[in-house]
Amino acid sequence: MKMTIHEVAQCLNLHVSTVERWIRQGRIPIQKTGNGYLFSESALKKWAAMYRLPFLIPEKVKSRGYEERLENLLSAMKRGGVMYDIKGDDVETALKSAVENMPVLSKTSKKELYQLLLERERLTSTGIGKGVAIPHPRDPLPDALKSPVISTCFLEKSIDFGAVDDKPVFVMFIFLSQSIKIHLHLLSRFSFCVRDNSFVEFLKTSPDEASFFAKIADFEKQLDRAET
Amino acid sequence: MRIFQSWRYPANWTIFRLDDRLLLILVAIIVGSCSGLASVILNRSLMIMFNWFHHLRHYWWVFVLPAIGAALSSLFLEKIVKEGAGHGVPEVIYSVSRYGGLLRFRSSFSRLISSALTIGSGGSAGPEAPVVISGAAIGSNIAKYFSLNDRQRVTLVGCGAAGAISSIFNAPIAGMVFAIEVIIGEWKSVHIVPIAIASVMGTEISRILQGNQIPFSHRLFNISHMDILACVGLAVLTAAASILLTRLLRSMDKIAKKLPAPLWIRAAIGGCAVGLIGLFLPEVLGKGYHVVQTTIEGAFSQGLVIVGLATIAKIVATALTLGWGGSGGIFAPCLVIGSLAGLTYHHGLALLWPSVTWVNQGCFALLGMAGLISGMLQAPLTGIFLIVEITGGYEVILPLIIVSAITTSVCHYIEPAAYYMKELVDYGHLLRPGTDARVLSDLNVSELIEKDCIAVTQNMLLRDFIDIVKKSHRNYFPVEHEETGHFMGIIHLDDIRQYLFNPVMYDTVFLGQIMNTRVEVVYPDDDLADVIRKMDANRLFSMPVVVNNRFIGLISKGHLLDQYRKELMVQTSQSI
Repeated sequence: MKMTIHEVAQCLNLHVSTVERWIRQGRIPIQKTGNGYLFSESALKKWAAMYRLPFLIPEKVKSRGYEERLENLLSAMKRGGVMYDIKGDDVETALKSAVENMPVLSKTSKKELYQLLLERERLTSTGIGKGVAIPHPRDPLPDALKSPVISTCFLEKSIDFGAVDDKPVFVMFIFLSQSIKIHLHLLSRFSFCVRDNSFVEFLKTSPDEASFFAKIADFEKQLDRAET
Repeated sequence: MRIFQSWRYPANWTIFRLDDRLLLILVAIIVGSCSGLASVILNRSLMIMFNWFHHLRHYWWVFVLPAIGAALSSLFLEKIVKEGAGHGVPEVIYSVSRYGGLLRFRSSFSRLISSALTIGSGGSAGPEAPVVISGAAIGSNIAKYFSLNDRQRVTLVGCGAAGAISSIFNAPIAGMVFAIEVIIGEWKSVHIVPIAIASVMGTEISRILQGNQIPFSHRLFNISHMDILACVGLAVLTAAASILLTRLLRSMDKIAKKLPAPLWIRAAIGGCAVGLIGLFLPEVLGKGYHVVQTTIEGAFSQGLVIVGLATIAKIVATALTLGWGGSGGIFAPCLVIGSLAGLTYHHGLALLWPSVTWVNQGCFALLGMAGLISGMLQAPLTGIFLIVEITGGYEVILPLIIVSAITTSVCHYIEPAAYYMKELVDYGHLLRPGTDARVLSDLNVSELIEKDCIAVTQNMLLRDFIDIVKKSHRNYFPVEHEETGHFMGIIHLDDIRQYLFNPVMYDTVFLGQIMNTRVEVVYPDDDLADVIRKMDANRLFSMPVVVNNRFIGLISKGHLLDQYRKELMVQTSQSI
């Protein structure tokens, strides 16, 4: 692979003018000819190792960033699906039937997930007020998931969730994500929606999937506009 | 045509792709020969001039000769080649540390001519420093011709200096040690090998053209334990002499600068004064190697008073010649003063303890020379090797080391900077490799600018600003004028942190109200050492960089440390 002097500077995390000065001063094994620079990448790597300078190909750095590309609410919600009339009289039973109805997971992982969700509930309730709860495992699930999942579960009847405002919970959003960063990103976008009281009223009507997703898409547009 | 092209651009020859060290050694051979040749030329022209003027010595008006010579040399330097007066070694050291050894081509001959005029006419100075700058300039320009990089050029400048000293003294080791100890200041094999080769070449050229002769041969000395003990006293005397010479040179320089006259008239006045001294003590005139020769042979028959007087007269004459604008080096006068000081000491000892049989007076003269060279240059190794080689007297090595070591330490205690370095230290220009000052001078502000700051305007509301804070990776936000884009001030997140969570203020506060307008700014061509001094004085962590009233980035201590460390690692590793 041919590299330019700018790429060398990037690999070494230096300013281009620093690299140019080092070439002039003869500190780096790059030779200047009349119209360009002569060097071999392996010699450069050897040189960097000798001086204990970090030499990272920027492609690697970039690809790691690509993995962590942040997803938006809508795709995660579509993946998680919307479920109606989830049965249950208390937190445990409601969670159990919700997890069983989730479309994406296998049977054993459903059991594990249920345990993780219960553990999290024991720490503090995930009822965030206004009758909405967001059960999620305390630690992200990097092995089980490739992309985040949000399952929307409308309960058959409101249950006491021990929420912050003591209101009974009528809808749960189960958040599953593979990293804390994605979790926080989704949570912050979701909380923007729930802050809107009309959205909560809208949720109380147990809307059908299409109009629910349309509403979410609407919110996403608002959020994107605010960000740019 | 193609052949012609390839000669014009030697950097494209395949040989330069072979091996860095081999290439340097090959070029060092050329540089060493050229600088050796330059010193032979100067030596020959001095001899010719000496013969011309020798028969004029008995005329009464002869004292104006040094004046004419000094004035001509000053005129030549000032008007024709437009170079500064002085001997040039500080310029070489400065260029090596600051500009990668870049020297002008004309430096390779200008000092040769001017010093030939000064010394040939009788001024008290030496031909060594002029050949050092000539050799260095030859090395630098050959490096330029081959398009070598700074590191290689510095080595070749050292090669030039080494070849010159080796050739003029017929002393290869002294040339090598001088180049490394004084000029380059860094003991690394990449420098040492080519410099050694250049020394050999320089010496060889001088031996071919002038014959292999030891400049100051002498009889064998039998040194007893008492003599070694007596060296300590001699060291103190030579230290005093070299400090006197350093101080006198500087004070003469200051006095001369106060005189409202053109440079060449000042030089003429100094030369005239030297000529007058020379009427009574002809020993002080010229480079004075014959004086050194007679003292070492023990043939200098004058008594204590005359010798002591001659020592002081030579010091004064040297200060007059060099301090008032004559051109030449300090090496030869040091040798003369040292030998006279050694002789004075021997006479003094013989007077105080007549019963003790001291070693021959020539031995003390020799030790005195080593003392003065070491004291003036504060380079003990150069002093030791030079004297051993130019006198061929290895049996005096033990007292020689003692005198050199003690004189260097005493002089260093009283005058912390050596004569060559003094000017550089005064201006903060002495940047030895691997020091803080060197690293800072190599880095510059434009390499350290961080450009990922988000600019805001003064009429922006705090609410809008908070959205920008969300996106930014930095704690600093430059405020720019909406229309002109001029830099107006800066907002630091710490200044507004407490208001960020107060929604009442979101729509009531403009950024113009909270920005800090009295900020210290940095310009891209500022000296980094000054920037850091400013940061430390004001306890700043970051400073904005401004060009033409526009903000272009931020310079922060965190990034600076990162770059500083990389620079230091690259500059001070052992392997290259």
